[in-house]
Amino acid sequence: MAAAPAHMVNPGLFEGYETGSFYDEMFSAPGQPRPPYAKLFQKLAAMAPGQFEERRKLADLSFLIQGITFTVYSDGRGTERLFPFDLIPRILPQSEWERIDRGLSQRVVALNLFLQDVYGKQMIFKDRQIPRWLVYSCPNFRREVIGVGVSRGIYTHICGIDLVRDSKSGDFYVLEDNVRTPSGISYVLENRLVMTRTLPDAFQACEVLPVNHYPAELARILRSISPRSEDDAQIVLLTPGIHNSAYFEHSFLAQQMGIQLVEGRDLIVDGGVVYTKTIRGLKRVDVIYRRVDDEFLDSLTFRPDSLLGVPGLMGAYRAGNVALANAVGNGVADDKAIYAFVPAFIRYYLGEEPILNTVPTYLCANPGDLSYVLEHLSELVVKAVGESGGYGMLMGPTADRAKIEEFRERIRANPRNYIAQHVVPLSRVPSYDPSTGSVAGRHVDLRPYCLYDGQKVTIVPGGLTRVALQRDSLVVNSSQGGGSKDTWVLRGEG
Amino acid sequence: MLSRIAESLFWLARYIERAEDTARILDVNYHMMLEQSQQSYRLRWEPLVIMAGEEKLFRSLYGEANAENVFEFLAFRQDNPSSIVQCVSKARENARTIRDRISREMWEDINGLYYTVTRFRPEDEIAAGPHRFCDLVKFGAHRFHGVTDATMPHDEGWEFLRVGWSLERAEMSARLVDVQYHNLLDALPSVGAPDNHQWMAVLRSVGAYEAYHRQYHSAIEPEKVAEMLILHPQHPRSIRFSASEVQAGLRAVSGSLAGSYANEAERLAGRVVERLRYDRVDEIFKQGLHGYLNELLRMCGAIGDDIARTYFYYAVVA
Repeated sequence: MAAAPAHMVNPGLFEGYETGSFYDEMFSAPGQPRPPYAKLFQKLAAMAPGQFEERRKLADLSFLIQGITFTVYSDGRGTERLFPFDLIPRILPQSEWERIDRGLSQRVVALNLFLQDVYGKQMIFKDRQIPRWLVYSCPNFRREVIGVGVSRGIYTHICGIDLVRDSKSGDFYVLEDNVRTPSGISYVLENRLVMTRTLPDAFQACEVLPVNHYPAELARILRSISPRSEDDAQIVLLTPGIHNSAYFEHSFLAQQMGIQLVEGRDLIVDGGVVYTKTIRGLKRVDVIYRRVDDEFLDSLTFRPDSLLGVPGLMGAYRAGNVALANAVGNGVADDKAIYAFVPAFIRYYLGEEPILNTVPTYLCANPGDLSYVLEHLSELVVKAVGESGGYGMLMGPTADRAKIEEFRERIRANPRNYIAQHVVPLSRVPSYDPSTGSVAGRHVDLRPYCLYDGQKVTIVPGGLTRVALQRDSLVVNSSQGGGSKDTWVLRGEG
Repeated sequence: MLSRIAESLFWLARYIERAEDTARILDVNYHMMLEQSQQSYRLRWEPLVIMAGEEKLFRSLYGEANAENVFEFLAFRQDNPSSIVQCVSKARENARTIRDRISREMWEDINGLYYTVTRFRPEDEIAAGPHRFCDLVKFGAHRFHGVTDATMPHDEGWEFLRVGWSLERAEMSARLVDVQYHNLLDALPSVGAPDNHQWMAVLRSVGAYEAYHRQYHSAIEPEKVAEMLILHPQHPRSIRFSASEVQAGLRAVSGSLAGSYANEAERLAGRVVERLRYDRVDEIFKQGLHGYLNELLRMCGAIGDDIARTYFYYAVVA
């Protein structure tokens, strides 16, 4: 017998759910699920009262016992917290995903060519596509690596590009390119694992594309950039240590790839070669997947007070004795002022039209833009160009007067450090609120993880859907009270 | 294997062992106390604090030792670095820094134990008595040994765990015998029968009570108890057995053969094992138990230092 049409199903968990004035990913109208969500809706709506809550608690417990936590420092002590996980997945049909995949691949290749260029021949300045001063004034532009060749020409081995769906057009926009040390992939993999255990029947009904090939693909790329033979390449993952908020991810990825997890104090540079300190003496290292920021990598080259890195590492890197992923200096490509030029990079380097939209951006470094921004602060989002993780940001429409004035001063004092955009009304996905026991729409973004081997870009279908669990909030970062959802890309259209 | 990882494995095992030993001693003493008169009350709790090596700290926090404050001190106090909760927390911290190198089951087990012990409310447990809490820690440690044995490759990393918990166990057993013996000799009532209950408690705290009876077929005698805990070749909590385990683990790491040694730690471990193999308990008592045990403790400390020098630390290169 065919399943009952969706509108005949008792709405159960979704009783009284309102789609509001935003694009709702799940419902086209109240009680009317979009086609990709139809099966999920039936499964969830059919649950007995209390059953969903029970499953949710099981999922939470599973995250706790596995120690999938992150550390917040707001209280000065460093407390471990669960990254809240919302059981209702976000779903994308295959055709929509394929367009995203093409758009992201195009972008990653262009960003890599840009990095090769600005740290190499610098043709883009000569061809007047972007002013040299704008690039050189990026806080994360690293003069130290100009002219330093990187293994196989790859800078952007791993990118986490943030996408949002605009409620007005229903289209995806790129919000940020994270091409330094993006984190979150471990949540994609663990969310999926917990999801398949917690809602197995719904998962099975939906035919979801798998994501668990990520670690193997990353390991393959890391091996391929080894300066010595690939076969016995010694690869390590460099973590700032147990107190880093992404420590769980570092150990998870090291374990999944079967490589050593090291801290700066485990490494030593001697004669321009990097070694690990083992119980049987020094062992040479060929590739470092580093999760330590540029400025902490080497106290002889960058911040002299850093204890997280390895003194002399940059010497070994320059000599070509060790490969780093991602490359040093990538921060110039995800600078929020440079962001405005990425469509131009795509046209310039690839001769193609950008597939994905970008959000119109005001560069406060331009006098015309600056005066517009200062006059419209209460309508705009202002972002510091070199920051990430939701820090250094002003949400004009919700900010109080004092905060707006504070930013006005900051922008005036250092205009190059800020950009502004109109607020994108993010789409929403139904999310469970444990405090009320009901489901309500919450804003989401999407961070797919792109791996680049110098030839092709591999993106595991979906990525991390981050959700602003607080009502009306548009800030999805985990450090700011955000949570996550599993992202299902369907085989077909659902 | 990275030196740091070897070091974390070594300490992970030591902390688990220390938590278990402390739980055993607390539990057994508490039950003995319940069966006893009030007279020797003070004597049964003070030694526990001395044994943990935290006498000074205890005196600064409490007055006279009693069942409640010793339990609180040894089980829960955050500022007592040897308390059970602190040992479990530190074991977990070490496990966390090497969770990519231990099995998922080991990590989840120790993480679960951490959440269990930190969720107890000290005031409830003090009111209820230590049994429930101590039992849970004891079986938590046993489960960890079992999970480790069953899920981790018995490679050199496993040997560092074995060396860690065996060395800790040797030291704890030595302290246990030393402190209890000393205390009982000083405190024996001038009239009446010697207090065998204390020695039963000592045997029970290392799980050797039944083994003692099978071995000696006699009443509990202090010398025989000491013999069992110091010299027994097979009991897993005797000092001799534990020292042999340390030696075996170190040899497995270095690959050195019987009769030879590859480093100072192995040389000292070999010396301890040989001495315990050929010493007799009457000789030990003749030369003085306290001095003998102190010498063993000193050598255990030196073994720990030499392990660190050999495997964990790199001299700073100028």
